[in-house]
Amino acid sequence: MSTTSQKHRNFVSEPMADKPVTALAGIGDRLGHSLTEQGYDKAYVVLGQFLLLRKDTELFCYWLKDVTAANSKQADDCAQCLKDWCDAFL
Amino acid sequence: MASLDNKSPQEISDLLDEYGIKHGPVVGTTKSLYVKKLKEAMAKGKKAKPSSDKTYYREEEEEVTYVYRTPSKSETSGDGGSYMRSRREWAEGEYGHDTSYSSYSSSRPEYKGRDLVDEPYMYDTPSTYSSNSYAKPMKSEPEKPKAQKSSRLIPLWLQFVFFLLLAAFLYLVFSNMEANEAIKGIV
Repeated sequence: MSTTSQKHRNFVSEPMADKPVTALAGIGDRLGHSLTEQGYDKAYVVLGQFLLLRKDTELFCYWLKDVTAANSKQADDCAQCLKDWCDAFL
Repeated sequence: MASLDNKSPQEISDLLDEYGIKHGPVVGTTKSLYVKKLKEAMAKGKKAKPSSDKTYYREEEEEVTYVYRTPSKSETSGDGGSYMRSRREWAEGEYGHDTSYSSYSSSRPEYKGRDLVDEPYMYDTPSTYSSNSYAKPMKSEPEKPKAQKSSRLIPLWLQFVFFLLLAAFLYLVFSNMEANEAIKGIV
């Protein structure tokens, strides 16, 4: 329903390979730095967390807001980005 | 309440299921998340409990309300109270638009013995429970019966009997007429 950003479309268009975590939609420099500090330096690590939460976007948003200072919009964008990627490639 | 942090992953998983929270494996990264979720759910306190208790309380609430209202109604029992001896009246009441009145009055035959106590009334509550649905609109208009009661010169039951007699008479008249005439009469 909501329009996706260019970043979202870029990410979902191909396998993520070794893309950094900042390649995820909703994750800018600040959040990217925060995630990297906690060990989530690559997009696939965050993907791993998303999969652990059974690809539940709500739980993932909850988690992301918990470990970083993400707001609702950023968390939603990131969750949706990962979900779409999974739908396409997983 | 035991600290959630000390529980094993299995226990946390069980608790999450109890609260109906969908979850994945409880591992290092997800444990603190689920613990927080459980704390929230416990704070709400609703999810874990079955909803059957709620319905039970709702029913009680209806009855309680009903019982509570009757003290105010008893004041208005008046002439209607002295006559509603039986269900027959309640059954008759279905013919007229005064259904609420008849059930309203039928709910208080026990009330005549108000001096004794609410006991006979309470006993009858389950059987008159079906009339609760009629009695509900009464909540919003407790004043109407009061006002109308004072203006009734003819008892209610007498009006019903009269109406029934009239209806029977009309029916006899129609049935004795010929078919064509009857139709014309209707039009």
